[in-house]
Amino acid sequence: MRRCSRCVSFATILLVAVSVGACAMFETGQTKLQGIKTVGVISAVGDEMSFSRMGLTGLNQSSQSFPIGSWGLDDLIVQQATAALSGRFQVQAVSYQRAAFAAIKDSPVAPVNLVRSDPFKKLVQTEVSPQGLDAYIVITKAKSNFGSGARKVEGIGFVSYSTLLTSYNQIHVLYEIRVFDGKSFEIIEKMAAPPLENVATVGLTGPSRLVDESFSPSTGDPVRNENLHGAITDLIARSLSSTLSDMHLAEVR
Amino acid sequence: MKCAVQAGLRLSTSGRAHRTFLAALLIALGTIGALPASASAQTAFTLPAPPFEMPMVPSVSGTWTVMVGVGGEYKPDFEGANRAMLSPVPIFSLRRAGSTEQFRGPRDSASIAFLDFGDLRAGPVAKFVAARKQYNYSELNGLGDVKAAVELGGFIEYYPVDWFRTRVELRQGVVGPNGTVADFSADFIVPVIQRLMISAGPRFRWESTQATSPYFGIDAVQAMASGLPVFDAKGGAHSYGAGAQVSYRINPQWEVHSYVEYERLLGDAAASPLVTLRGSPNQTTFGIGASYSFDIKIR
Repeated sequence: MRRCSRCVSFATILLVAVSVGACAMFETGQTKLQGIKTVGVISAVGDEMSFSRMGLTGLNQSSQSFPIGSWGLDDLIVQQATAALSGRFQVQAVSYQRAAFAAIKDSPVAPVNLVRSDPFKKLVQTEVSPQGLDAYIVITKAKSNFGSGARKVEGIGFVSYSTLLTSYNQIHVLYEIRVFDGKSFEIIEKMAAPPLENVATVGLTGPSRLVDESFSPSTGDPVRNENLHGAITDLIARSLSSTLSDMHLAEVR
Repeated sequence: MKCAVQAGLRLSTSGRAHRTFLAALLIALGTIGALPASASAQTAFTLPAPPFEMPMVPSVSGTWTVMVGVGGEYKPDFEGANRAMLSPVPIFSLRRAGSTEQFRGPRDSASIAFLDFGDLRAGPVAKFVAARKQYNYSELNGLGDVKAAVELGGFIEYYPVDWFRTRVELRQGVVGPNGTVADFSADFIVPVIQRLMISAGPRFRWESTQATSPYFGIDAVQAMASGLPVFDAKGGAHSYGAGAQVSYRINPQWEVHSYVEYERLLGDAAASPLVTLRGSPNQTTFGIGASYSFDIKIR
């Protein structure tokens, strides 16, 4: 009994020592952000939209995608991020190869993603100008499993989900934000946009909402669907400022 | 978890045990019900940012969903037994807000998908098999104890479509009995409505001789002590069966689930005198549980 209590005491001391040491060794992202004054914003989220049928759908479950570059969503994201960040940082316009940022995919081998250097690091170094800002904020597509199934959805999309008795439609805007140090190009902060707080849907780790059939890309030309365009824009507007504030980049709501 | 399993109450011994378990279940549910009745979609707590971050580890900032709950499992006393026992089972999970737990069968071992193509997933698995103590059950008198086992291995699962999963686990005992076990399963996963999910499918297990013999073999010494005939249990097809589960999400916070797994022992496991004279080749497990989810936000 006494031996056990000694072990517990030793473990407690060790835990405290490790925690204090770790505090000294690793700064938080918030601490690292303190010296940053100038930032550039890069967005590569909104060039295409996926359309997936999931749930009880028979044997054909292939996804389609539609180009939506004409909606100018990346420009909208940069514009809204700039507005949210301006209270704290001096935001400078940057030019970049959007397609190069949009083309990067996670490896299906999970440990590879943990071990390898962040794939966007090199792009920020080579494809963005001007260089020399204190930090670069990179907004790119994120992935999420849909519901309890194994299939994943990415970026901007529309999911038609069928159950035995009913079906529903959901739109999503899944993105993640990285903050790169402008000198070392190391990641200071990284976060995927969380779901909106007032949604009743479940099944995605990012911003999404239920919509009716009139939003479906399967009815007519999806690029001309103003309902769909408006709903996607609204999701971006509602989620971006809260995500930036969660990352300590914008004022807390 | 182990404590909870060991705290299992023998249903066959008394109704008091049953009542005690139900009381514990109600108290636990009452406790978690006393948590803020907001929503899994609304934040119950906001915690400050952690004092430090580790390199290569994703930031913990953001919204997380905590799920706590309690369940009960009514399962055979030991593999091959003809009596069953009700045990409490704790439920806990932590995941990023918005995500639902991926489909999981009651027989699945703990696993991590290192390889994830969406419809094809693979990775390591680990399973703990509790020790079989002869003094716990009169049927085992004279057979000695079988040590607890830790089995490590890999799994691969494939979803040809959203509503059908096939899964294989191959595990090797590394602590305790060091046999090899292969579990095959398939599940039809049917969302009836958005909140109600039903799944069911067949099961099959293969075991090596080293995995079968400690539980079903009877050597000369054990035969003399137990009164059972000597039996040399070999490996091979071990069992087949079927399982089904249903889960219903009452609201964003509360979910209830239930499952049943039936397995029929085969080969030398079924032919062992322990089973033919003192047990049964029919093994059925029932489970039921309730869980409560709430969100916490880490700045």
